[in-house]
Amino acid sequence: MAIAAPPPSVQAPRAMPAIAAALTDTNVRVNSDFRGDRIVLYGAVFDPLWRPSDVLVIVRGPEQPVRIARKSRVAGVWINSRPVVFHGAPGFYIAASNRPLDDIAHFAELRRLGAGVDHLAINAPAEQRIETRYGIRDMVVSRLGADYYDWRRAVVRLKEAEHLYDVDEHGVRFVDRGLFRAEIALPAEAPIGRYDVRIFLFQNGHPVSQRSRTLTVEKVGVERGLYLWAHQRPWSYGLAAMAFALAAGWAASSAFRRD
Amino acid sequence: MDLYLPIAEVSVNAPLLVALGALVGFISGMFGIGGGFLMTPVLVFLGIPPAVAVASMSNHVAASSMSSVISYGRRRAVDFRMGGVLAAGGVVGAVLGVEIFRWLRLIGQADLVVALSYLIFLGIIGGLMFWESVGAILRRRRNQPPPPPRGRRPPWLYGLPLKMRFPRSRLYISVIPPILLGVFVGMLSAIMGVGGGFVLVPAMVYILRMPAGIVVGTSLFQIIITTALTGVLQAGRNQTVDILLATLLLLGGVLGAQFGARASSRFRAEELRALLALIVLLVGLRMGLGLFFTPREAFVLMSGTGG
Repeated sequence: MAIAAPPPSVQAPRAMPAIAAALTDTNVRVNSDFRGDRIVLYGAVFDPLWRPSDVLVIVRGPEQPVRIARKSRVAGVWINSRPVVFHGAPGFYIAASNRPLDDIAHFAELRRLGAGVDHLAINAPAEQRIETRYGIRDMVVSRLGADYYDWRRAVVRLKEAEHLYDVDEHGVRFVDRGLFRAEIALPAEAPIGRYDVRIFLFQNGHPVSQRSRTLTVEKVGVERGLYLWAHQRPWSYGLAAMAFALAAGWAASSAFRRD
Repeated sequence: MDLYLPIAEVSVNAPLLVALGALVGFISGMFGIGGGFLMTPVLVFLGIPPAVAVASMSNHVAASSMSSVISYGRRRAVDFRMGGVLAAGGVVGAVLGVEIFRWLRLIGQADLVVALSYLIFLGIIGGLMFWESVGAILRRRRNQPPPPPRGRRPPWLYGLPLKMRFPRSRLYISVIPPILLGVFVGMLSAIMGVGGGFVLVPAMVYILRMPAGIVVGTSLFQIIITTALTGVLQAGRNQTVDILLATLLLLGGVLGAQFGARASSRFRAEELRALLALIVLLVGLRMGLGLFFTPREAFVLMSGTGG
């Protein structure tokens, strides 16, 4: 006979708020008819005191360095500058919340969590050097100078144009008391790899509980086979692709032969 | 019906690409050119990464050239020896071109060089060809006799060492000019994603003075060898050949090329040349003039990390 032990957490010292969340699908399969996907996340806020709560969901794709150049006019022709490489940029990024981020938390908190495209920790280390300025040692100075923020904003703007970065101020909806739902649109251009999904519960401007989930975007079937072949044995892939092309040309010519 | 391309990593409309391949194949068969100069810009416009478009085009051009060269071969309209000499140069040019293209991508100037190459080469060749063919059409309308054939062949073709006999072309010239021409066309092929027929055909007529009847077949023969090598090199060095993309294009392309080759016999040669010249000019201007307009977006993301 099992003797029921006293439930350990019946009397929590103070009713701590908590958050729980799950993805309806943790595996996005990229096959030949992949045209992007919608990922649905469900979750619940547990708070016996029902304090006002905000939910923030951050989805980050695998990190991809970004090369960006600026066009400038030289002798009447618009040409690219030397490209600048930004590190730390996720290949995909969405911050979804139930109301605008600035209403949920302060600047410093958002910056610390990297919440919102303005707070993404991306920088261009190759363009930086450390020097002494105004008598202060070890200052990080960017070679891009005062334009630095223009470059940084351009990275975000261009990624947003490709639907790879987004901030959705109403992406999280409370569907019932404590129960919320978020939908994340994944474009066909979304990179392959492991995605990190973090769900935060904010109360009074501070994160009080957090959950972490992973999402895998992977190629399957023929797509995966071809991709692996092309990258692991590029020479045999190239030869086979060309042999196939030449054979197709020859076959078409024979089929249309008029004697 | 949309199809996800494994290497380009974008989703494309499959019937649209097959139709595009057929249209370009038709033009290619009609004028005896590879058609890469038309296809590559359209693919980039459709959202295929430029590096993948340029590399996958090699497979498409090789296939449609193969489809037409066989019928030229049956008519004995291919100078295989001249094609081989040109291709020897083309092989060197293709290797150089693939490396140059890697380096250009690394320093971020690939777009500029590609756009400028289109503007300069298509502009010059389209302009010259248009001028010449309109002149021929006007003379026909006025019932004037064609201009007397040009004088003797330029002496430098004969003064150079390493002479070789080309019986089918009825030439006995040094191999140096064809090899240099091949190197140049091979480089263009790797950098612009084209076969190079639009440079090769006029150069064979006006510089090497080959008989017009075998120029197109010989050019296609050399293009097969050069683009086959470029395609394998791009796959091996840059992993940018998308076999699904190439297959979609060549499905339409090889069929279109056959119909184009038949359609060409219904038009007069100079009218065909005038039409081709117009297409070449338009594509060149479309690709190149963008360099002179103020861009809407001052920044541009570079594909790949250039590693």
